[in-house]
Amino acid sequence: MKRKPLRKSKPRHAKATGKSRSRPPARISGSRPDRIDRLVEVSAQALGIPLDPGWREGIAFNLRLILRHAKLVDEFPLPDHTDPASVFYA
Amino acid sequence: MLDALAPDKLDWSTAGHLAAKVRAGHLSALDIAEATLARIRNCDPLLNSFTAVTEQRALDRARALDEARASGKPFGPLAGVPFAVKNLFDIAGLPTLAGSKINREDEPAIRDATLIERLEFAGAVLVGALNMGEYAYDFTGENIHYGPSRNPHDLKRMTGGSSGGSGGAVAGGLVPLALGSDTNGSIRVPSSCCGIFGLKPTYGRLSRARSFPFVASLDHVGPMAQTVEDLALAYDAMQGFDPDDPACVNRTAQPIGPLLKRGAAGLRIAVAGGYFKPRTAEALQAIDRVAVALGVNRDIDIPQAERARSAAFLITASEGASLHLGRLRGRAGDYDPAVRDRLIAGAMAPASLVVKAHKFRRWYREEVFKLFDDIDAILAPATPCVAPLIGQQTFMFGDQELPVRANLGIYTQPISFIGLPVVAVPVPLSPLPIAVQIIAAPWREDIALRVAYTLEADGIVAAPRPTI
Repeated sequence: MKRKPLRKSKPRHAKATGKSRSRPPARISGSRPDRIDRLVEVSAQALGIPLDPGWREGIAFNLRLILRHAKLVDEFPLPDHTDPASVFYA
Repeated sequence: MLDALAPDKLDWSTAGHLAAKVRAGHLSALDIAEATLARIRNCDPLLNSFTAVTEQRALDRARALDEARASGKPFGPLAGVPFAVKNLFDIAGLPTLAGSKINREDEPAIRDATLIERLEFAGAVLVGALNMGEYAYDFTGENIHYGPSRNPHDLKRMTGGSSGGSGGAVAGGLVPLALGSDTNGSIRVPSSCCGIFGLKPTYGRLSRARSFPFVASLDHVGPMAQTVEDLALAYDAMQGFDPDDPACVNRTAQPIGPLLKRGAAGLRIAVAGGYFKPRTAEALQAIDRVAVALGVNRDIDIPQAERARSAAFLITASEGASLHLGRLRGRAGDYDPAVRDRLIAGAMAPASLVVKAHKFRRWYREEVFKLFDDIDAILAPATPCVAPLIGQQTFMFGDQELPVRANLGIYTQPISFIGLPVVAVPVPLSPLPIAVQIIAAPWREDIALRVAYTLEADGIVAAPRPTI
């Protein structure tokens, strides 16, 4: 593939939003907060991780993010004989 | 320029330059160590790069080097060169913090990390341990326990992480050489934000022995420096098999120093398109500048790069959580809340999908390796934007607003996912630098470093001195 002509551009810096550091960004649209919140609760109990109520929103935010990435992985068809590369050698 | 960063006789001297002066007898190792320690005392209150300064050890080591020289013993290639390490590397006599509050209570390490031993064997002088994002789960360089590392080019901005102190210390001229670790981009992201050179070698090339782990199947370690030559000097000194790291591959060392000046002529180089197409003006400008300088007129598509990034994200979340599970059960309140929430969520990731991510890695590895039948190196942005402000939560990525902490490594994750060697080269844009990744086939660090050296010699990439 041929590289497209180069464009002239000026540096543009990332936008600062000024939001609080400890507060997670808004929920991912389309997520199902009730189910994820329950999953956080039940999983924490199963894993023996005590939860402070103030942590749940941040954990649920991150779990939604992980599951969104996991969905992308899950959608990819792989042959049955593909071995995991859990110990990876380049 | 800040007064505290004003040059003195040793400021911004490269490792190669210092070692040459020491070998020639124009400087003593003790001169250099004392000047370096003074500069750290003066400047680090601004940069917050160091969490420990090993002053007595450095002075003792420097005196020993000078005595050895006086008695006619040969000097190594890094004679008298001061260096510092991300505080996840074991330093004998200190607890290995890995950026955490919890590890402060650990027993002091009884032996140095392998890479420290090898650098000192080559004549280098350890001067301290460097700040980092907690447990390396970070792209920002912020740390709630020790404060954020600050970017020497703008103290209000992040260094990038998680090797943030390494980036700040080198970019600020406190040391010419530092070690970092890179699981998903933690050498390359701070190299980009701070405008320095960083080498993430092939997975398994350099020993991780006696460094605090994060994600065993993705963890790499490597040098960060002000010049390509210094990267190569350090890399050559650190190569070699180490049975203490189960992932370290038993390969003969391949010194790159003698090959650097071979240039990039004849190498087949392409720009990564698709997923890697820059969406900010600064990343676009940087990649274009490098591509034009190298005469690159070809784009390639790295297949399924977005999915690779997702798989790396998932494996990181799960393996990282597994490492910390015991501490999360007993001391979750002692973590940085941002790290704690990610780790606890990672513990809840479905195992069946984590295994699938590892299977996908096999597929992706084979597909990407095929690209190297036709090309020798790939260019890609290192970060999506220049260094964000400290405390900044989101940034604009095209028309998307993305969280900073999870996404500064959006371009680095699909590459380290399969262990490819990368040199991050800083393009000195104004007012802030940003880096480009030079990616090579496994075990071909020599190619990435040759391209980087050529760009540096032509003045296209350089570590800019901080001016504020």
